[in-house]
Amino acid sequence: MVIHPDLGSQLVNLCSALLLLTCFAIIAQRRLSACVDLFALQSVFLAVTAALVAFLTGAHHIYIAAALTVVIKVIILPRILKAVIERLNVKRELVLNINIPSSLLICGALVILAFYITQPIISLGFLLTQDSLAIALSIVLIGFFIMIARKKAVTQVIGFLVIENGLFLGATAAAYGMPLIVELGVFFDILVAGLIIGVYTHRLQDTFDSVDTSKLTGLKE
Amino acid sequence: MIESVLITVVQMIVALLASPFIVGLIRKVKAHLQCRQGPGWLQPYYDLAKLFRKDVVVSTHTSWIFTATPYILFSSTLTAVLLVPIFLSKVPLNFAGDIITVVYLLALGTFFLMLAGLDAGSAFGGMGSSREAIVASLTEPAMILSIFAVGLTAGSTNLSTIVHKTALLQGIVTDPPPHLMALAALFIVTLAETGRVPVDNPATHLELTMIHEAMILEYSGRYLALIEWASALKLLLFLTLISNVFAPWGIATERTPVWMAFGVAVWLVKVSGLAVLIGLIESMFAKLRLFRVTDFLGLAFILSLLAIIFFYILRG
Amino acid sequence: MASALIILIAAPLVSGLLSLAVRTRPVMERLQMGHAAVLWAAMAAVVAGVAAGDDVSFGSLLHADALSAFMDLMLAFVGGTALVYAVGYMGEKLSRGPVEFPRYRRFFVYFDLFLFAMVFAVNLDNIALMWIAVEGSTISAALSVGFDRTKAALEAGWKYIILNFVGITLALFGTVLVYYASEHVLGVSMEALKWSVLARAAGSLNPVVLKMAFVFVMIGYGTKAGVAPMHTWLPDAHAEAPTPISAVLSGLMLNLGLYAVLRLKTIVDPAVGPEFAGSIMVGLGLLSMTIAATFLLIQRDYKRLFAYSSIEHVGIVLVGFGVGGAAGVFGGLFHMINHALAKSTAFYAAGRVLLRYGHKNIDGVTGLLRQMPLVGGAMLLAALALAGMPPFGLFISEILIATGAYDKRPWVAYAFLLLLVVAFAALVYQVFRMVLGEPKETGVPMTPGGGRFTDFALAANLVAMGYIGIHMPGFLRALFIPMTRVFHVLGEIP
Repeated sequence: MVIHPDLGSQLVNLCSALLLLTCFAIIAQRRLSACVDLFALQSVFLAVTAALVAFLTGAHHIYIAAALTVVIKVIILPRILKAVIERLNVKRELVLNINIPSSLLICGALVILAFYITQPIISLGFLLTQDSLAIALSIVLIGFFIMIARKKAVTQVIGFLVIENGLFLGATAAAYGMPLIVELGVFFDILVAGLIIGVYTHRLQDTFDSVDTSKLTGLKE
Repeated sequence: MIESVLITVVQMIVALLASPFIVGLIRKVKAHLQCRQGPGWLQPYYDLAKLFRKDVVVSTHTSWIFTATPYILFSSTLTAVLLVPIFLSKVPLNFAGDIITVVYLLALGTFFLMLAGLDAGSAFGGMGSSREAIVASLTEPAMILSIFAVGLTAGSTNLSTIVHKTALLQGIVTDPPPHLMALAALFIVTLAETGRVPVDNPATHLELTMIHEAMILEYSGRYLALIEWASALKLLLFLTLISNVFAPWGIATERTPVWMAFGVAVWLVKVSGLAVLIGLIESMFAKLRLFRVTDFLGLAFILSLLAIIFFYILRG
Repeated sequence: MASALIILIAAPLVSGLLSLAVRTRPVMERLQMGHAAVLWAAMAAVVAGVAAGDDVSFGSLLHADALSAFMDLMLAFVGGTALVYAVGYMGEKLSRGPVEFPRYRRFFVYFDLFLFAMVFAVNLDNIALMWIAVEGSTISAALSVGFDRTKAALEAGWKYIILNFVGITLALFGTVLVYYASEHVLGVSMEALKWSVLARAAGSLNPVVLKMAFVFVMIGYGTKAGVAPMHTWLPDAHAEAPTPISAVLSGLMLNLGLYAVLRLKTIVDPAVGPEFAGSIMVGLGLLSMTIAATFLLIQRDYKRLFAYSSIEHVGIVLVGFGVGGAAGVFGGLFHMINHALAKSTAFYAAGRVLLRYGHKNIDGVTGLLRQMPLVGGAMLLAALALAGMPPFGLFISEILIATGAYDKRPWVAYAFLLLLVVAFAALVYQVFRMVLGEPKETGVPMTPGGGRFTDFALAANLVAMGYIGIHMPGFLRALFIPMTRVFHVLGEIP
């Protein structure tokens, strides 16, 4: 089956736009477990995007990256996070530093900023799709914002993982994927990082009786 | 000329007949997901027929607004439906108004409904009206902006032009990032404007939560029938907007009977699909607390705003 | 020479894996001492090889040029003394009881893996694999920072994890951008990620993409290097981590972050001109120095004091490389190695003080010179060196950087010198309070078992610091000569 290149890049564009949309959904979501679900959904879109890029460019190693995304980000990490939520009994609503409408506005501004920054690169025209790099950067920035604006340790983890998703989108859609060994290394690191954060969250719970990071205020000048 | 009149009449009949079906379909989906059999497919039609036959009870405290509202609501909604391409991309009445007209026609109905809610002087009616005012004030800008986002690509605010141009384009979607945001925004607006979960629950009369049902609590008989039918039409109108503005594939772009018949079939499939989706959402999610509704609608507004800004930054 | 490089990289990994199987303290002590000896020997061989004029490489992945060898020198020497110190420090904790044996063992496993990741990172000839190794070092250090499991340690660990993981992720975005720029010139392959290939092709890469990449990498690896305003994890982590880790974080990990930034700068400069990266680095450097100088004045915790001093010195190095030129670049390089030595010495001494008194309060510590002459003396000398007193190397490098800055942008030099004076006064005042006077508390003296190792580490660092300060050794000069090529600097080594 041959896909028309225009249609192909439109499909990639559509998938990356879906990734961005799930970011907004995460921002607008107050329930912790729903955030984890949305992250898993976002990773599904990411895997689809990667598979599409692999199909369109013929870079078959990206299929492996897509498969790894499904295994690690759709199955393993959400399960770990759910287990943490379950064990820590933090099913209640999120603690927000910034309320949802302002969060949305700020994220909108971040998206515009990302598009503005990447504009000179987009006009170079090397990219497979016009918007993917800008969307990738937007997702990175929104992930950043999630880490800053949400207090629970688990949401900060989700923010971190969202940043990773944005990066991976940038790597696949903008640079046709990195060489396989690099992708494998990056995945391994993310997995380990996820585990370490999980370990830390457990320790935080044991020591502070809470995973609310706003209680971490002992160290200051 | 005669052809145009004929097409308009057909569109009216199709919309009037299809709208109770969509309402019934959503109920059926929900019933299935709750492992119930649910009422038959024709139940919404029976309900309407029954209500039209019943007597009307009107409170002595009410003014003319109360009796006029059902007619105003029904006729404004029906007019709005006629301006929206359903099975033919260029509707004969497209000279009469664009998307702004559609929004204002719907707002007119909502406005009178809110007045009528207040008119009877009951506590619930007033509560419903004030809540509806909050929802409407948040959804309307989002709705206009989200359709503008598509309109900018097509270079027009006229729905027929937008749909026609988009339908003639190649590929799946014209411009994914902004359009997807606009689509998400419009979907949220649809849920809010038609009083579905998670904004409102059309199936209960629980005084603490209801919005739409609170406003029409005083109505009975044919008035209630007209209001119910108008709500069904409004739901249909939004579903049609979503399916035809964002995915106008299969819509007739020329006035040949075969193609138009095909257009009706495709349109029915599309709106039914959306109705099933709404049924799923209503079964899966709980209603939001009233104070959280603003967050949800804020999301729609931000998304549609972004869609517009995208257009200017990226393609401007 | 290639075998020496392999041994240098493999030694920490092997030692870390072997540590897993160790059951008794004496075995662990011998293993880690052996590890340190192997590190030094292999490093000496690699440095000698590179100093003789040939880059050492193995396969297509590992490649040690002059800059890598310079980093190897620093990592292996300070890493080795830190290992010796850690043997004494953790042994003391073990015999006193707060750390039981499984955790004692785990400490060395983390520590060795941390060293491995850092040594691996600087010798990789691949920008993306280097990122993976740097991320590896971030992860292994994360486990060490929260090692003590007190509330404060956990909080510091959490801050460290969040900030550094985010930072490192941004660095990956920058790396992707570099690859994006290079694949259009060099094709979609591993080649397009190799430092050596990138360095040759640097002039033809797209400047806009590289500018963006540099900003991301600067923020990303800059977080790891403790550059303000991304420095907020640093004082907490340095104060709460076990002291050998603090020494390595400050002396080595910050330099690793700087190394990554510098590597990219050598790619970015030919494409966009030295002004772009230079002004960012000068700006961030001066900001770091300002923040550090302010907080040095009000510090009450001696480990945090040295942590803020690290931020100051990272700022100095950034200013040096930012103003560029022979004076700036060699000033920066010389500053890096001298700071690594002096700061690890300071932390070794601080660790001994902490073991003795059990608290980190500056006000509670006086008369160190009388009570613990070696420790007090080492702390005094290290502080004087860090403050920039002659005859230590940091004095020379600061003068070099200041003259380099004066030639390019005089106002930078004025600001730089002013901040140096403030930091000097603050640091010397605080350390004098601890070192001089009459001892207030008796504290708990070290057992001879622990004291021997820590004394040795302190002495080794002091000797090395004095040696390269008084007279620049030939091998260091030999390493600096090929670096003129790496950094595109014209002119003689001052």
